[in-house]
Amino acid sequence: MSIAMPIRLGPAEEALIAQLEGAGAKDAAEALRATGLPNRKLEAYHYTDLKTMLRDVPTANVADGAVTAPKLRIPGAYRVLMANGTASHESTPPNGIIISDESGNALSARDDVLVSMNRGLATSHLKVRLEGSVDPAVHLDYRLSGDARHVATSVLIEVADGATATVVQSFSGSDAAHLGNHGTRIALGKDARLLHIIIDEMEMAARHFHTMEYAIDEKVALTTLGINLGAGLSRTSIFGSFDGGGAHADFSGMNLLDAGQHCDIKLDLTHAVPDTTSTELYKAVVRGDGTSAFQGRIVVAQDAQKTDARMMSQGLMLSDEAQIFTKPELEIYADDVQCGHGATVGDLDENSLFYLMSRGIPKDEAAAILTRAFVQELLDRIEDAELNEALTGMVDEWLVRGDAD
Amino acid sequence: MSTPMLEIKDLHVRIEDEGTEILKGVNLVVPRGEVHAIMGRNGSGKSTLSYAISGRDGYEITEGDVLLDGQSILEMEADERAAAGLFLAFQYPIEIPGVATMTFLKAAMNAQRKARGEEELATPEFMKAVRSEASELGIDNDMLKRALNVGFSGGEKKRAEILQMALLKPKMCILDETDSGLDIDALKVVSEGVNTLRGPDRSMLVITHYQRLLNHIVPDRVHVFADGRVVESGDKDLALELESKGYAAFDDKAA
Ligand SMILES: Nc1ncnc2c1ncn2[C@@H]1O[C@H](COP(=O)(O)OP(=O)(O)O)[C@@H](O)[C@H]1O
Ligand SMILES: [Mg+2]
Repeated sequence: MSIAMPIRLGPAEEALIAQLEGAGAKDAAEALRATGLPNRKLEAYHYTDLKTMLRDVPTANVADGAVTAPKLRIPGAYRVLMANGTASHESTPPNGIIISDESGNALSARDDVLVSMNRGLATSHLKVRLEGSVDPAVHLDYRLSGDARHVATSVLIEVADGATATVVQSFSGSDAAHLGNHGTRIALGKDARLLHIIIDEMEMAARHFHTMEYAIDEKVALTTLGINLGAGLSRTSIFGSFDGGGAHADFSGMNLLDAGQHCDIKLDLTHAVPDTTSTELYKAVVRGDGTSAFQGRIVVAQDAQKTDARMMSQGLMLSDEAQIFTKPELEIYADDVQCGHGATVGDLDENSLFYLMSRGIPKDEAAAILTRAFVQELLDRIEDAELNEALTGMVDEWLVRGDAD
Repeated sequence: MSTPMLEIKDLHVRIEDEGTEILKGVNLVVPRGEVHAIMGRNGSGKSTLSYAISGRDGYEITEGDVLLDGQSILEMEADERAAAGLFLAFQYPIEIPGVATMTFLKAAMNAQRKARGEEELATPEFMKAVRSEASELGIDNDMLKRALNVGFSGGEKKRAEILQMALLKPKMCILDETDSGLDIDALKVVSEGVNTLRGPDRSMLVITHYQRLLNHIVPDRVHVFADGRVVESGDKDLALELESKGYAAFDDKAA
């Protein structure tokens, strides 16, 4: 038996351990005491060293009634308010939307501190079951109000066999050093179709962590789009497993970052069975000294013949101080597969800028047009006009914010 | 004598990162309402001249001046020059994925109106203007919805340039090899488009290395360009002389 060297724990780690113990999460507390917060030596956190970046921990989950104003409004959507971690919804849900409180945490156990803390602190979860052809988009509207708080949430989105649905999760709140640790499991039944949109519109002071877990059954059609433009520090971990043949998923995201922001996406997909296909397209636009990281890993199991997976990450640096990291990995154990990955990073194209300016468009506006064009193909995936308009508006607002700098 | 529309005085230009001088003292005057042609072989610096006039980064002006309607424009950004009435039809129009042609046209027209202190165009008014100019040039609606110049044929790109010119109503137009890549039918359409834009308050500088274009767009003056300067000027017959004698006959004048 080897004797592990004791880890030196900082005040943030001590505070988290105390909170976990206070919540009765002994296992999670022990796990954190044993390893501490992940640092850059841990591959999964190579670009986001939580041991140095997470310096202070606000008070844990305190229920109170205060709610910040809504940020994203999606006309016609069925909205479930998640105020400071507590769910409430306005009326009886429309047909095909079944909402219930369930015991236990929605995420599977993993060797990941954020997951084990989430599982330790969120001991019940909200279950949103979607059946048939669900007409309105379901909008899970997470908001954190008031002074800094540590909130852990857990949600299960269950899309029944043959169901079609759109789910939006948006995160916003007051400009305080919140620590949001969110977990979402998305279980897709046979032939299910889902458009899943995830939006971080938190404020600069906030720390935002979200772990997502997709279970993908036969003949599923899944499209995801994550938009990160809010929190000063954010980390999104996406785990996905293709467990039934004939399924196809398009995973995508855009990080729109300003000075002082750090946003990290870790994507981990497993094609476990034959005949499944996927694309992964992640874009980053970075202003000032913002930092964007993308780590994408695709595993193709030995049995998973005929897998087709295409991963791409693209970065656009709008300043010299911007940092964009990208690390794609393919692990292929099957022989009859089509897999590829690519990555590009660059600044705005001088020829294009000059062309627009030569038509009378001022430089800032020309840059905004080209930046918008860079992310346009992701917005084009959203066919619903009202949803598309809401998201386009959000992106345009971010672009305008840049002009004011 | 009225102020010329464009006056280029002893213009010297070098490429910033290279250091080599490309334009070596260009002198040229285009009076109001006139169409002048510049002819010169490949690599003589014609496109460099058009970029230097339009204010492209990387083209350093070491000597000389460019006046648009009597005002020096060298201190102005490219967009300000455009708003002041300058237009360059590119030899190689740039493809811009993700920007619909229609969206771009509206942004350009409104930016220029804004710069001149005019109101933005209302959408129906804008659409009407685009549709009527587009149909003159044989540009269909589908092309306007596509991303700017992306997947356009050579001819479509050149027609799109002339469409922009027609909508922006510049007073000084520079057309850089607008005939290249056009078949004879497309050449006619484009030339007609250009000819309808001729007028007493609009001047043009038509750059080409074939005389052929000048049968369709008949110039008031022709200038021969060699090794970064104008080496000979004359009336439209100079183009024919050039065609029969070849550029080599003018090379010694550049030395
Ligand atoms: N951006 C540039 N960098 C380096 N050399 C250039 C650049 N632009 C033009 N040149 C050089 O300047 C000369 C003139 O080019 P150009 O103006 O394109 O000629 P033309 O349009 O008459 O064919 C050529 O020798 C060309 O290689
Ligand atoms: Mg040229």
